[in-house]
Amino acid sequence: MRTQIEDVETESDHDEATIRLDSLTKRYGDVTANDGISFDVEAGEIFGYLGPNGAGKTTTIRLLLGLIKPTSGTAEVLGEDIRDRRALTEAKANVGYLPDTLGFEERLTGRQALDYFARMRGDERRDELLELFRPPLDKSIETYSHGNKRMLGIVQAFMHDPDLVILDEPTSGLDPLKQDRMHLFLEEERDAGKTIFFSSHVLSEVQRVCDRVGIIREGELVALEDIDDLLKRGGKQVRVHLAEPVDEQRFTTEEMIDVEVVDRTVRFTYTGEPAALLEHLVQYELEDVEIGDPQLDEIFKHYYGDDGLVGGE
Amino acid sequence: MTAILRIESRKRVRGSVVLIAVFALLSALYFSMFPGIQEEMDVLEEAFPGFMFELFRIEELHTIEGFIAAEIYSFFWVLLLGIYFAYIGAGLIARDVQDRRMDLILSNPISRESVVLQKVGALWVPLVALNVGVALIVYVGAILIGEAFNPVALAMVHLLSVPYLLVCAATGLVASVVVDRVRTARAAALGLVVVLWLVEGVSRIDPDFEWVGAAAPSRYYDHTAILVHEEYAFGDAGILLAAFLVLVAVAVFVFTRRDI
Repeated sequence: MRTQIEDVETESDHDEATIRLDSLTKRYGDVTANDGISFDVEAGEIFGYLGPNGAGKTTTIRLLLGLIKPTSGTAEVLGEDIRDRRALTEAKANVGYLPDTLGFEERLTGRQALDYFARMRGDERRDELLELFRPPLDKSIETYSHGNKRMLGIVQAFMHDPDLVILDEPTSGLDPLKQDRMHLFLEEERDAGKTIFFSSHVLSEVQRVCDRVGIIREGELVALEDIDDLLKRGGKQVRVHLAEPVDEQRFTTEEMIDVEVVDRTVRFTYTGEPAALLEHLVQYELEDVEIGDPQLDEIFKHYYGDDGLVGGE
Repeated sequence: MTAILRIESRKRVRGSVVLIAVFALLSALYFSMFPGIQEEMDVLEEAFPGFMFELFRIEELHTIEGFIAAEIYSFFWVLLLGIYFAYIGAGLIARDVQDRRMDLILSNPISRESVVLQKVGALWVPLVALNVGVALIVYVGAILIGEAFNPVALAMVHLLSVPYLLVCAATGLVASVVVDRVRTARAAALGLVVVLWLVEGVSRIDPDFEWVGAAAPSRYYDHTAILVHEEYAFGDAGILLAAFLVLVAVAVFVFTRRDI
């Protein structure tokens, strides 16, 4: 894994990095929330920061914003060292941030809250964004649903047209339709030259929108790779319920791994193309099929080993 | 960059209005009572032990100045309003940190110094509202019952209380940047203001121990001296103002260096 990270680093053009983490470490007593994390986020990419809940994603983000101080190591955001408070404060004029927990002034209406942020950093794209994401602006925020709060958060994060936007679990609480809209919006923003740092614990989401991904587990960066490589490692979790018992040898193809057959039910992880899987399955008499995303933990187990390190590389 | 000052000022309006209403009610009560009991004040003065008068700095109860100083300023203004300002001060930072509002505030190109100073600046709302409002209520109240205050003394009792209230607020502010949980910060600030007030009051009873109260803010604001004797201790107010500035500087120093 070490070699992998170093490879990516040497390939990248150092001058273009929008975010650069250099052995960034944060300890709380005995707990190491971030353990020597290093990677770069290039200008104009959507970088996915993937990890299970409690892995240390929010800690990294709060370090990048200067809300907490690193125990050792450092990072640069838009070229400014996060330990240089003054420089970082100025750089924030060009950063948007959507926190995981949205702390608005609950008594304000959505409009008043946006006015409040606009006074601190501008709002030239506010109207355009409010056509895409529509929180009820004239109601007070304390009456907002979780999804509406998140939409208000998205608008405030982008409304001053920043070069870099840091999103902490941006789609949690959004219905699938709005999630799709958000994903499309992020891709358009990326194509317009924005850099997006996107944390999530949902693999499929990261697979769909991100260009590169860093995987964090228990405070350590366990992988850093292009999304295509991750797709190969990811696969789909499939459960097939057949009308009759089946011969495992005959049913199994090369793309299936971890095949488990119990009577008429077959479970496996499928690493090939979805169309090929469906073509293969229709040859059998099926009673039920479930195709889902594997849990992150399972990916770790299969591809990075239980100790969080890449096995056999 | 005054966005925070504006929003914080708005938050202070409701509490200020409520407190003015409370002082209006209290004033109505005491002014309507005064003409009836003015003559019997010596009975009252004899009925209470002397240290109570020391503790609350009560003198000349049979004059309107002494009566109002004792009834409204000694307890409600010095102690209760001091507590109120400490309570607000203790909420300024800790509340936003606890509710994660501070994350969003600090994602703006705003320095932490500016956040603290704008929040402290918003204290102008209760300071102006209460000092103007209550001064007018007391002045008019006295006229209504056929008495009169020296307007300069009345203005001074309010003006010189501003540094005192600021010190109470700054005590809360320091608790607010040190402690993460807002309830703890408020309890600490309130406790400190009450204990210091009590220590100062008790220390005045025995001249040998008077020095003990020197660290308490209430030592430097004597409402009875101002109203009854028309003595204006500008030097003491200066000490309070200096203490306020030091406490705010400490709060800024701590807040700019800590994790939130």
